[in-house]
Amino acid sequence: MDRIDTSFITDFFFLASVRLEENRQTLCRLDGEIGDGDHGTSMANGFAAIEKVIRAQPDAAPADMLRQAAHAFLAEVGATVGPLYASAFLEMATLFDGEQPLSLSEIGQVLSAFARGIAKRGKAQPGDKTMLDVWLPAAQAAERAARAEQPLTRLASLTRGAANAARDETAAMMSTRGRAARLQERSIGHLDPGAVSAALIVDAICATLEERAG
Amino acid sequence: MSGTKRRLSPRDPTPARAPVRFGDDPVLWASWLYYQEGMTQGEIAEEMGASRPTVNAYLADARARGIVNISISTDHMRSVTLARALEDQFGLESCLVVPSQGGARTLIEKVGNAAAGLLPQMVHSGDTVAITWGRTMLAMAQAARLEGLRDVTVVQATGGTTAKIPYSPESCATRLADNIGARRVPISAPAIVSSAQARDMLVQEAVIAEQLQYLSRLDRVVFGVSSLRPNSTIHSSGFFDNALQQHDFYVAAVGSLAGQFIDAQGTPVTGPLSDRFIGLALDDLRRVPTRILVAAGVDKIQPILAALRGGYVTTLVIDSDAADGILRALDVRLSRYAAAGRDTEGSTDDATTPPSARTFVKKFLNDPRDVVNEAMEGALAAYPGHIRQIDDTVRAIGAQAPRPTGKVGVVIGGGAGHEPSFLGFVGQGLADAVAIGNVFASPPPDRILTCTRFADQGAGVVYIYGNYTGDVMNFDMAAELAGAEGISVASVRTTDDVASSGFEDRDARRGTAGNVFVFKVAGAASARMDPLPEVERLARKANAACHTIGVALEPCSMPETRRPSFVLGEQELEFGVGVHGEPGVTRQPHRAADRIVDEVCDQLFAATALGPGQRVAVLVNSLGGTPMIELLLLNRRVQQRLAACGATAHLTLVGHYCTSLDMVGASITLMQLDEELAALLDAPCDGFAWIKP
Repeated sequence: MDRIDTSFITDFFFLASVRLEENRQTLCRLDGEIGDGDHGTSMANGFAAIEKVIRAQPDAAPADMLRQAAHAFLAEVGATVGPLYASAFLEMATLFDGEQPLSLSEIGQVLSAFARGIAKRGKAQPGDKTMLDVWLPAAQAAERAARAEQPLTRLASLTRGAANAARDETAAMMSTRGRAARLQERSIGHLDPGAVSAALIVDAICATLEERAG
Repeated sequence: MSGTKRRLSPRDPTPARAPVRFGDDPVLWASWLYYQEGMTQGEIAEEMGASRPTVNAYLADARARGIVNISISTDHMRSVTLARALEDQFGLESCLVVPSQGGARTLIEKVGNAAAGLLPQMVHSGDTVAITWGRTMLAMAQAARLEGLRDVTVVQATGGTTAKIPYSPESCATRLADNIGARRVPISAPAIVSSAQARDMLVQEAVIAEQLQYLSRLDRVVFGVSSLRPNSTIHSSGFFDNALQQHDFYVAAVGSLAGQFIDAQGTPVTGPLSDRFIGLALDDLRRVPTRILVAAGVDKIQPILAALRGGYVTTLVIDSDAADGILRALDVRLSRYAAAGRDTEGSTDDATTPPSARTFVKKFLNDPRDVVNEAMEGALAAYPGHIRQIDDTVRAIGAQAPRPTGKVGVVIGGGAGHEPSFLGFVGQGLADAVAIGNVFASPPPDRILTCTRFADQGAGVVYIYGNYTGDVMNFDMAAELAGAEGISVASVRTTDDVASSGFEDRDARRGTAGNVFVFKVAGAASARMDPLPEVERLARKANAACHTIGVALEPCSMPETRRPSFVLGEQELEFGVGVHGEPGVTRQPHRAADRIVDEVCDQLFAATALGPGQRVAVLVNSLGGTPMIELLLLNRRVQQRLAACGATAHLTLVGHYCTSLDMVGASITLMQLDEELAALLDAPCDGFAWIKP
C-alpha cells in the first residue's frame, strides 16, 4: 500500500471522475464567463471515458493503464483539454517504465509529470491563466514537502493548499491563451475554468494519498 | 435686482453695472468671472465695484439658485470610488487613481505625473528618500517639482544596471534629486553581481557600505513593480537576464519589486540571484514609514496585487483600469464605495451577476449528451446524396462525390454547434470529409485521421480549420499520425475574425464564417486537380482575403447547461463575438440596424483597404437565432455601403452558414476578390449548405 500502483491510479481516476461529474455545471458556468462553456462537459465526459476503460481492464500495469487512459480521454474529448491531459497521462506513464515503482512520497513526480506533459503540448507560460498555473505550483509544493520529509498527510494538505491558492490567483491574471484570450483584460476577475478543474484533480490525488496514509 | 442690492454692505463703493450679456444680474456676472475666467474673489470685487463679502454672497447665491452646478466627471468620480475601495481593502493611508482613458499623455506619463503631484505632501525637509527604476519612476522623476525644502537626500534603491536603458536606477535618482533640489546618493555597485562572494566583498567596501547606510534610515521610498509577462520591460532591460534563464527557481514569482522577486502573496521568492543582489532588501523596504507604489497598466495587476498583499505599500498611485482589475480579482462590489444613490460602476457589478438568475432555455433535446450524434444521424438521413458515414462513427463524415485518383483531399472540421458548418460544405467542389467534435470542441486526432485516410487519393490532404488552440493541437497530432502513414498533410488555419486580434496580428485571430469561402476556394482548386502546394496556396490566399465581424444581441446556450453563456442587458449588444458563445470584444448600446452595420463596415473596409472598383464576396450569416428577414435587412445596408465606397459585390450569400447554436446575432464577412479567387468562387459546387450549379 505504500506504492503508487495500479490500485492507487484506479482509485485516483475514479475519485477524480466523481469530483468532475459533481462540478460539471459549475465548470461550464465558469467557462461560459470567459470561454465557450464546454469545459465541464469535456472534463466530466473525459474522465467518465477513462473510468470505462479501467473497469474493462482493472489489472493493467500502471504504464499501460495510463496510456489507455490517455487514448480514451483524447478520443472522447478532443477539444483543448483532450490533447493536454492525454499528454499529461502519457508523461506520467513514462515514470512507470523503469524498474523501480514510485513510493507514495514521490507523488510530486507525478504532479511534475502532469505539468511537464501539459506544458509541452500547450506551450503555455506560467501566468497565462491556464491549468498550468495550478499544476506547476502544486507539483512544486509536493516536491518541496517531500524534500523536507514531511509526513504524507502534511504533504497532501500542503499540495492541496498550494493548488487551491493558485486556482484563486488565476482571477488576477489576464488570459492570453485559448478562447478567453480574445477578452484580454475583461477576463480579469474570473477564475480560469481549467485551473479550477486542475485543482479538483489535484484534490483527488491528495485524497487518494491521505486514504493510504491512514 | 433689488433683492440682491439689499445685501450690499454700507461701505460698498458705487457698484458697476453688469455687462449687458449678463442681463443685469450681478450673481451671474460674478459667477462668470469666478468659474469661467478664474478670477479671485478679490479681483471680482474690484471689477464689480463690490466688496469681497458681497462677491462671496453672490457666489453662494449662484449655487443656491442653480445658476452654477458643480459636477464631477464620471471618469473622475469612478476614480475616487476605486481609490476608496482600494484604501479600504488594503488599509492604505492614501490611494490616488488616475483615469486610464483620455488626455494626450501616455498611461505611464499620466500616472507618473500624478505621483509627482503627491510629492509635496509626502516629502519634507530633512527626509531621506529612495527611488527604484523603470519607466514609471522616470516619468515621475521628470515631472517632480519641489521648492523650498532643505537637506533632502535622494538615494538609489538598488545598485546600477546597464546604461542602455534610459530609466536606469542612476538616471531615475539623478533626475528626481535635481528636480526637488536634493542631494543624490548613488550606489556605486551593480544591482546584480556575478557571485555571492563578489557581493560580500563589495558591500564591505567603505564607499559602498557608507552609501548603503542611507538605505537603512529611509523616511520615504517610491517604487514601481515589474510584471514578469513576456512583453514586460524586465526582459528587454537586461536587468535580470540570468534570472529569467533560471526560470525554474522563479516559477512562483509574479513580479519584481526593487529588483527582487515576489510571489502572489508578496512573499519574497528566493533563488540564485538572492545572494547576489545589492540594494534595499524587501524586509527593509517594509520598515520605511512612507512607501509609495506607482504603477500603471492592466499587465501589472498581478504584481501590484502581490505588493499590496505583502504589505509593501502605504500609498498607491495607479490607473483606473488596473485599479478596477484588482478589485474585480478580489470580487469587491464597488457599489459599497460609490456615493449614495449613484451607481458609478454598474457594469462591473453586472459582469459578476451569475447567469443562474435566468431560467433554463427551452430546447428540443433528448439526453443532452446525445445531441451531436443524434443531429449527425439526422443529417445523414436528410442528405444521403451528399454525405455518408466513413466508419462506425457518425462523427467522421465523407462526401458521396467521386474522389478521383490524384485529387488532393480536403479535410475540414471542428466542434459541433455551428450547423450547417462544417458538414454542409462536404461535397463536389467543396471538402471531401469532415471530422466533428463535441459542441464547440475540436474533434480528436483519431477521427481526423479517419477522414484523412478517406480523403487521400495519393496526392496529399489539406486540412482547413479555425485557428483555435484545441483544433490546432488535435489537427497537428492527426497530421503527425498521417505523416507516419505516408500521407502528406498541409494545414491552413482560418483567421478571418477581425475583432479577435489587432490588424497587425493576423496569426492570433480566430476563424469564423469566412471559413465557408476558404472551403469553397480550396474545394474548387482540388476539383480541377491542382496539386497540394497550389491548393494550400489558394486556401491561404482565400483566408488572407476574408474579414469577418460578428455582433450578438443575445448569448447562446449550451445543450448541457441550457443557460445563457453570458449575460447581456436589455439595451446592450456584444460587438466582435466569435462563434462559440464567448463574449465579444466590447459591449455597446443596442441601436438601429443600419448604425450597427455601419460600424461593422467601417472596420471591415479599413481592414480590407476597400476602395472604388474593387470586387468582394459578401456573407451575411446568422449566428443561429436571427431570422432571414433581419439578415436581408442587414444585407441591404451592407450593399448600400459597398456602393457608396464604389465597390461591387461579386457574390452575396445570406443565411445560416456558420452558427453559434441559438445565439441571436449575425456576422458579416467580406472577401476581397481578384480574378483567381473569383473564378474559384464561381466554379460549381454541391454541398447541402451550398449548391452552385
